[in-house]
Formats: sequence, C-alpha cells, structure tokens
Amino acid sequence: MSELTLRPPRAAGTGRPRLDVRSGLLRAVLIRVGTALLVLLCTATVSFFLVRLSGDPVKLLLPPDATAKQESVLRASLGLDKPLITQYLDYIWGLLHFDFGNSISYNEPVGHVLADRLPATLELAAAALVVTLVIAVPAGIVAAMRRGRASDRGIMTGVLLGQSTPPFWVGILLILVFAVGLHALPASGYGTFANLVLPAVTLSVYSIAVVARLLRSSLIDVLSSDHIRTARAKGFGPVKTVLTHGLRNASLPVVTVVGLEVGSLLGGAILTEQVFSWPGVGQLTIEAISNRDFPLVQATVLFFATTFVVVNLLVDLSYSLLDPRVRNSR
Amino acid sequence: MLRLGGLLIPAVAAPALLTGCGTSPASSAGNVLRVSQPGDPKTMDPHKQGDMTSMNALINMFDTLTTRGQDNLLHPRLALTWVARGATTWRFTLRPGVTFHNGEPCDAAAVKFSIERVLDPATKSPIVELRYVKDVTVVDPLTVDVHTTLHDPILPDKLSLFGGVVVPPRYLAKVGDAGFAEHPVGTGPFTFVRWQRDHQLRMRAFPGHWQGRPHVDELVFSPQPNPSSSLAALQSGQVDLVAGLTPDAAQQLDGYGGVKLDGFTGIRTSYLSLNTLADGPLKDRRVRQALNHAVDVPLLIKAVLGGKATEVPAMIPRGAFGFDPSVQPFTRSVDTARKLLAEAGHPNGFSTQLTASNIDSNVAEAISGLLSRAGVHAKVQLLDPGTYADRLTSDDHNALGPMYLAASTVWTLDGESMLQSNVRSDRRQSRWHDKDADHLIDVEELSEDPAERKRAFSDLQRLIQREAPFVPLYQIDNIYARNSRPRWKPGSAGVLAMQSAEIST
Repeated sequence: MSELTLRPPRAAGTGRPRLDVRSGLLRAVLIRVGTALLVLLCTATVSFFLVRLSGDPVKLLLPPDATAKQESVLRASLGLDKPLITQYLDYIWGLLHFDFGNSISYNEPVGHVLADRLPATLELAAAALVVTLVIAVPAGIVAAMRRGRASDRGIMTGVLLGQSTPPFWVGILLILVFAVGLHALPASGYGTFANLVLPAVTLSVYSIAVVARLLRSSLIDVLSSDHIRTARAKGFGPVKTVLTHGLRNASLPVVTVVGLEVGSLLGGAILTEQVFSWPGVGQLTIEAISNRDFPLVQATVLFFATTFVVVNLLVDLSYSLLDPRVRNSR
Repeated sequence: MLRLGGLLIPAVAAPALLTGCGTSPASSAGNVLRVSQPGDPKTMDPHKQGDMTSMNALINMFDTLTTRGQDNLLHPRLALTWVARGATTWRFTLRPGVTFHNGEPCDAAAVKFSIERVLDPATKSPIVELRYVKDVTVVDPLTVDVHTTLHDPILPDKLSLFGGVVVPPRYLAKVGDAGFAEHPVGTGPFTFVRWQRDHQLRMRAFPGHWQGRPHVDELVFSPQPNPSSSLAALQSGQVDLVAGLTPDAAQQLDGYGGVKLDGFTGIRTSYLSLNTLADGPLKDRRVRQALNHAVDVPLLIKAVLGGKATEVPAMIPRGAFGFDPSVQPFTRSVDTARKLLAEAGHPNGFSTQLTASNIDSNVAEAISGLLSRAGVHAKVQLLDPGTYADRLTSDDHNALGPMYLAASTVWTLDGESMLQSNVRSDRRQSRWHDKDADHLIDVEELSEDPAERKRAFSDLQRLIQREAPFVPLYQIDNIYARNSRPRWKPGSAGVLAMQSAEIST
C-alpha cells in the first residue's frame, strides 16, 4: 500500500496513472479476497463445532426403538464414529475440493441438495430487490424533496411501519387479504410469476423502509451542499438538479445499504420461505437444523456467509467506481 | 447512477436465467388430486428413508408385500399368502404377473434383492423393522423364505410399510442408487413424473397396475410446513386435501365455507412414562395410581385437543392387535388421587417435574394443571425434539427426569410395537422393572400362536393397570381438511395411499 501512495495520484497526460490505479485496485481486491477466504474458513470451523454440540443426528434419523447396534452401524456408515478432529480435517479437505459431504437426512451429496433450492431463493431475493428499488428510490426522492410536507410525513410513517413489522406477519396478512379473501394470488407454491408476488413483497417491506429512509436523509444532506446551490443558481430546476447532481452524490451510502440488504434479503428469506412454503435454501436450513443434518447445516451456513462476504466485497469495490476520492486514496 | 444501474442489472438478471426453466402451476381442473402434508419426502428411494412423511408419498409409487386395510386387518399385496414355517422362517407366496413401471417382472429375486438391500449397511437405511431378519432365500420364482434370528411373529405386519417395499433389481443395477432416487420405478398404482424438492411431487396413474388403474389421473403432493399456509392454500383452491393437521390447526378451520374436516381414529398413542427406578414418590405404586386418577383424560381431550382423540386404557390403542376392550380406564377422581397420595405418605402432595418435547407443550401444561388439583406440582420442562430424542434413548434412565410425555405411532398395528422399547427391563426406554412383565413380553414377542399372544397382551394390560408405571393418555385422531372434490378414507395409521381416492370434477 505504501508503494502506492508514493505515486502521483493523477499525473496528467502520461496514461500510466490509470494503470497504477488498476493495479492498486487489483492488489486491494486480492487482499480483500484473501480476508474473505479467511472469514469463510472461520465460519466453516465455528459452524462445524457448533452443530456438533447440538447432539446426535442418528437418534433423530432412527425411530426410538432402534437397537444400539443399528445406531452404531448407521453412525459408522455416516462417518460420525471417527474422532472429531478427523471429521474436521476431512470436512476442510472436502471444502478445498468443493465437496460438502453427504447430507445425512437426504442421503445424497449436499451440493445437489443445495443446488436444487438455490434458484428459488435467488429468484425470491432478486424479485424482492427489484420491488425494493422500484418503491424505495422514488419514495426516498419524493420525501427528500418535499421535506416536512404531508407527502414526506406520509412516506416516513409508512417507512416506520415497514421497519417495525415482522416479515412473517406481513406475509400472513397478505395471504389473508390476497389469497384467502380476494382469491387474487396463490397463498403458496412456486413456479409462476403469481407465486412470486406475495413472498417478494413480504420480503421487501423491511428493505424498502431501510433504503427509502437512508436515501431521504442522504439526499437532504447533499441538497444543502454548495454545488447543488450552484446548480440551482445556474438555473437548473429542482427535479433536474436532484436527478443529475443530487442522486449521484447521495448514492454512496445507499449503495452500501442496498448491498447489505441483498445479504439480508437472502438471509431474511428463511422466515418468508417458511410462511409461503417457498422451496428455497431458507426452508432447507430450518429443516437441516431440526434434523441435525450436520453437513447440510454447515453448507447452508457457509452459503449465507459467502453471500455476505461477497456482497461486502462488491460494495467496497463499487465505492472506488463511484467516488474518485476513495479510488485515489488507494 | 448509471454505473450503479450497471452493477445491479446482472444481479437481478442472473436469477431469472437460473429459473428460466420454471414450472407450470398445478392445474386446478380435471381429474387431479392435490394433497398437502406438513413435510416433503426426504428422498425418492424408499429404502433410504424411515419417516412417515416420505412413506406417505412413496407408498403411491411402490407396493409392499402386505398391506393394512381400512378394517385394520393385514391383507395381501405383493404377497398373496404368508405362513410361518418353523420358528425362524416365514414363507411368502407372491402375486403372479406383477411388473414394475418399466416392465421388469416383480418376482422372488426382486423381493430377495429388496430385503437384502435394506439390511446392507452400505445402503445406510434408517429402516429398523427388519432387525431380526438374517437372510432371504428364493424357493421358486414366486416363493421366498425370510429367515430370522429369532421368531418374529409380526414380521408380515412389519412388511406392510417401510421394510416391505419391493424395488426393481435390474433397473437399479442399470441406473445406480443416485439414478434410482432421481427417477424411481416401482410397482405401485402411480408412476413418477417429476419431483421438485420442497415444492411438489407429481405422479400419474399407472394403467398396468395389478389392481387396476387408480381413479384419479394425476396425483400431486406438496409440502406445507406451516399449518396456516396449508389452510390458506386449501381455502384459496390450491390444494384439495390437507393431511397431518394438529387439532388446534384444525380448530382454526371449523366453520369456514367450502372446507370439510374429517377426523378418523388414529393410532398415535400418547402416554406419561413414570420413572419407577429412581428414588422418589414414583417408586410407590399408590402414587402412580394416584397420578392416573388425577389426570382426567376425557377432560384433557375435550379441552386441549378439541375432542379429536380417544382415551387409551392401558397403553395398547384400539385397532391394534392385543387391545383388550375389557380393560377399563381408571376412574378419574381427584378425591381418590388425594386419598392414595395420603396413604403413600404424601398428604400434601409433592413437587416433581414433567418433561416433554416442545411440540407437546399444550398437553404437558394441561397435564401439569390436572395434576396440581390433586396436590402434585409438576414443573413442565420443555425440550427441543432433538434433545428429547437424545435423552429418550440415552443409557441414563433418568435423563428425562421423573416423568415424561411420550408418543408412539404403532403403524404395525400390533401391541408389540407399542410396548417393545419401554417395558421389558433390558430395553432402552424401560423405566419399570417387573419380572411378570418381562415374561409376558417374551410370550407375546416369541410365541407362534396368535391366541397365546393375545392372552399375554391382555395380562400385560391388566398388570400395567395394577402397577401403573405409565399414565396412558389417548390415541389422537388423524385429521384431514378438504374441499368438496376428494372422496377418500384412510386407515388407522393414516397412510396417504391414494389408490382408492376419487375426485368429483
């Protein structure tokens, strides 16, 4: 890093500084990726030992009247009779080869089981993200521009409500109104656009509130700054000023929070999937935990951790694209 | 903002690509029966699962050697007859002309292969019923002998579900275990179409089934882990039949238009097990009898279970072999309970603990309330189901404390399944040691004469009444919610075999 600061940030006309910026970025990316891998290794280790504190999966797999011999045979065939440290080393060794082991309750590779559910969860999270942006961005802008007026107060009340209502409750209300009451949308299930609407809305309610509130306050900050007054003085109308000058500058914290929301949308899918019988990773996780399916729990925990780590990484990197100050400070 | 957009678009578009091969929704029209239950099958390989949720779906694609009728009696299925040939051999004669969905014949070799596949440790099968089976010999193409290590009088009953499923050996040799689980082939009334985990399992009627083509053209199973979601799905016309409802979930539905509730006497039997081995009041028979008088089971059923259960007098439920209708339940009397407690030296009652799995918290709290009327203050300790299961089968007999709430599903419909693990002194869940009981268990488990077994069961139930090592509670109803389309009646075990179901279109 110190080597970088010695270089002139922007020597005009040589063309070399651009390259420096790129190699600086590359180095930063490599360091960040290395840290991320370390975080994932820690997660894998902690989850490995934590799930093993919860008890014996064989007891849940077999009926209570199974004989001790039947239990020990099954335990041995699952590899759970080996010393803990051997199991751990096997697990890490497998991870290095992208082998997550065999699911205990499904009796097949964890990778298959997880890959089966992943599309549903990604689809739900993506839809929720779209809903979030489509509602939160205009709401945040309107609230900021009409600060203190009735429309701002209305939006802010909605935001408060959205942020303080638990998602499963929203889900149940939506089911009652749109599925049971109006017969307009299916109450559960997967596969069509209609199936997607209620869960996506449910999942996005909290994110809408977070993003709209942050965009509002960040825009209000920006709008009171000098360059906006300059723009206004140059004769730009309020809408054009906000869209061309304000949003760009207000977007930095918003990108951070949207990025983090992607992570929590994936994680938050656990409850929503349960309410809507959505066949995703969230439902799989709950099931894996109650079955003490060690390899599956480890893999789902690792999946959520990886998502967060990758999202954080992308958010960090997007900073340098959005803000020259961040870029140059590297 | 443009760059921000550029960052987001791939993130949004990628999942859409992943799900491009989306699915068509379950059709609500036509001769399709849509069934939901609380869970999804674990696998499509019938030998690699041991839970009723999986079995409920698989029984529609696979046949078993024997079957349980709606009359609760054992009937032929793939096996036409069975007879004990000596103490350790059962001979099964198979139904001729049965083929698997792919045309492979279902013969003695297939039966031998199937049973031995369950027993092979490499299969990692959680099926425990065949524990006494040693090996299988083929006598001729339609006859097999199943050899056991000791006499197993209810082996034919055990072959009516999990252990009795016959799978196609040639197909398995060709596609392997993984291929088989991906596209299962059985002899059952429905053929496999498609399974999307946690979403739906689609099956189609098999015209070549030996019993004739089923009435419905298509059968769709979907999991609904959340009872209120499943009820919403029923009310909004997404499913036709909801199985596996708890009484309180069913109560939510009572009175809704277009929703019908059916309750059938089930076989899952709940009881309190009392630890008579540890020091404490429960060592005294009078105290145990007092508890039986104090727990007013009919009141419990009415108040907590909405009436959707039937009292069980002495551990063995109605409908199971060995149930003795002449054994009457305790008279429920708080006064008698107090009197017995006083005689045992506890005129002011005593304090104790009642352990239960947290899924039974309502019932446990209610029992604690009933006990307190007689002066017994039982603090309820709730455990998650996993920890509960650990302690239930633990070597430490006191792991669940002085008394715990338990339940067993006696799907073999034989009293043995109810008593085998918690009565004989050497069994893992036994909290009561009694020489007479041990002897009676031996008689009912090893005798080849059904009349003798029945007598042993009757004697056992009277002994259990006298010694009171348990507080027998109830057998819970199987509850189904449906719309007006399906016509179907389950057996006592509540297995979701849909071959006989009809649908009004």
